[in-house]
Amino acid sequence: MTGQKIKTKAFVAFLVAPAFLVLIGVVIYPFIFNVVISMSNMSLTHIKDWRFDGIRQYVKVFTEESKPNFYGIFLKTIIWTIVNLIFHVSIGLFLAVLLNQKDIRGKAVFRTILVLPWAVPQLIVALTWRGMFNYEYGSINLMLTQWFGLPAVQWLKSPLETFIAVIITNVWLGFPFMMIIALGALQSIPHELYEAADMDGASWFQKLKNITIPLIRPAMVPAITLGTIWTFNNLNIVWLVSNAGEPSDQTHLLVSFVYKAAFNFYRYGYGAALSMVIFFILLAFSLTFMRRTKATEAAY
Amino acid sequence: MTKGAAIVNSSSMDSRRLHILLFICFASFVLLGCLSGCKPKKEGKIKITIWHQDRIDIRLVLESQLQKFMKLHPEVEVEQLFKETESLRSGFIISAIAGQGPEIVYGPADQVGPFQVMDIILPLEDLFDRAYLDQFDPKALTYYKGHLYQIADKLGNHLTLVYNKKLVPKPPTTEKELIAIGEHLTQDLNGDGKPDRYGLAWNYTEPFFFIPFMTGFGGWIMDDSGKPALNNPGTVDGLKFIKDLRDKYKIIPNESDYEISDLLFKDGKVGMIINGDWSWSGYEKAGIDFGVAPLPKISKTGLWCGTMVSPKGFSLNANISEEKKKWAIELIKFLTSDENELEAATILHTMPTKRSVLASSFVKNNDIMKNSEIAIDHGRPMPVVPELRAIWDAMRPSYQAVLGGYKTAEQAAADMQLDALNKIKEMNE
Repeated sequence: MTGQKIKTKAFVAFLVAPAFLVLIGVVIYPFIFNVVISMSNMSLTHIKDWRFDGIRQYVKVFTEESKPNFYGIFLKTIIWTIVNLIFHVSIGLFLAVLLNQKDIRGKAVFRTILVLPWAVPQLIVALTWRGMFNYEYGSINLMLTQWFGLPAVQWLKSPLETFIAVIITNVWLGFPFMMIIALGALQSIPHELYEAADMDGASWFQKLKNITIPLIRPAMVPAITLGTIWTFNNLNIVWLVSNAGEPSDQTHLLVSFVYKAAFNFYRYGYGAALSMVIFFILLAFSLTFMRRTKATEAAY
Repeated sequence: MTKGAAIVNSSSMDSRRLHILLFICFASFVLLGCLSGCKPKKEGKIKITIWHQDRIDIRLVLESQLQKFMKLHPEVEVEQLFKETESLRSGFIISAIAGQGPEIVYGPADQVGPFQVMDIILPLEDLFDRAYLDQFDPKALTYYKGHLYQIADKLGNHLTLVYNKKLVPKPPTTEKELIAIGEHLTQDLNGDGKPDRYGLAWNYTEPFFFIPFMTGFGGWIMDDSGKPALNNPGTVDGLKFIKDLRDKYKIIPNESDYEISDLLFKDGKVGMIINGDWSWSGYEKAGIDFGVAPLPKISKTGLWCGTMVSPKGFSLNANISEEKKKWAIELIKFLTSDENELEAATILHTMPTKRSVLASSFVKNNDIMKNSEIAIDHGRPMPVVPELRAIWDAMRPSYQAVLGGYKTAEQAAADMQLDALNKIKEMNE
């Protein structure tokens, strides 16, 4: 290696070092510490004198007969994630396609209005929606009863309705992200491709299938992967709209269950083990999804 | 010079320029980081930080008192930081375990239990002289496992019946009067078949607000040995009573959490609300002519609906340095001085803790303060054991299930007890 090359490498290492140190401090160290805690008995009574406890906390995650238990909440989390993602992507894509039309006036205004849900802090969104779901005074029931003549729904009193309420809130909150990503991807598709397809007599569907979808895929797949992870791990909306799992602790996702175990009951070992389980679920999903969709392959 | 050599020279020059540019960027980031992160300390000052979860009007009073303290002691800088209740607890635990955290942590007495078990707050009995401690009402000094861990400047955190004087000229003293007034007030004013005004509202999804009904019917959450005792007739009758208020007498809204009930009262859409001492100044600001009364007596038992009473006060972080400890003690003495307690009581209507201030003409003659004191007398002290957290969490689901119609009151009381035992076992594993 020449002196110049060594110098260059040393310089690169010098520049990268601060970022790497930050990474160690905020990602690698906490992650390793979480793994260690997950194999300990750390709790309210053993916070300073905790000891190694093997995989006992992991066994408890899968076998503890709590109400609700891991499997019930896991199923609910999967339903929550899938339903949210379907709505986020379909509404986001639909609006992006609309905004990408040439002959729409005031695009910037529409785009700003549609991005608003994303710009409002989640706490405010959640508490506003909670108020809107009130049985007697909430705007949702007032609309249902006064405009559509439907009976009022007890949104926040029974488990199913509450779960639907939190999904509605999160759908409203989540579609702008997908819309922005899809719009960016749509705008980057060269118009000549569509012109060439028109000359070849391609139908609307053929253009969608052979040009639009393949070319927005490299942007959408990572966005969907990210969206899945964010939705799966979305504590704020579920926690705030359902007021910490109401009614009767029936509105929990895995992540809100971890929060409750760790910070309400001081079960740090158990909470860390459950968070590791969530991590592995999401890791497995991300790797499989990225591989199957070939997201990292170039589009052109 | 050949063309090739010129290209090599130019590329090496570009690379050097790029390196210089990158280095300048890097140095700027480091410098900026230092400038923002390494905020210069005020020269030679000792910094004391207080974490609390008080609402804005209390914060303003506290801030003005801290300013006075800093004027008296220019060598000390005191900073107050607001944190939401749960963030304060979890944040203090995490930071104190790591040897950090604020010097003083302020809040209701029930945080003493977990903090003591984790050994992150200091016993105070040897840090304050006996003469000083004797000035307090005994309820203000929170002892746990034989040691003093908290000195309060406010008593209460208690629930009362707040009533709109325009709608309720005389507050009820029994549950029968409460129902009668409630039925009179609950009215469909616009003829759409739905009540536009209710007699009473409160946050009836939260078990803390259920406690007065439980005690009114003769129940309590723990037995004398400190074990959960939720499966008692008081729990069953209290649950049935609340359900009757909604379904039989129809004097409370169908669904009502804290925000909704608070808004309804402020809008004059409900005549009475069950709320705590923290809410009164908000009603004052909203321009409501309100009164405060103790919660009514239950005719069947002859018992008052007794609220949980908890002092709110100061504890010292176990990691505090000797130098800062001296000033933290001085600060606590200052904030609990007669003058400052009376100022807070006058502005906020919070109940003071010093005997001399409790005997002051303001506390004895002000209508709100008088009734607040009666409500405190009817109440029971909130246990400070960490297991209380498990009890709340065991009560909440079954309580909500009764109101949602999924469980009978008897089944709920039995489930609450079973859940509490299980959760305590999980917590203490």
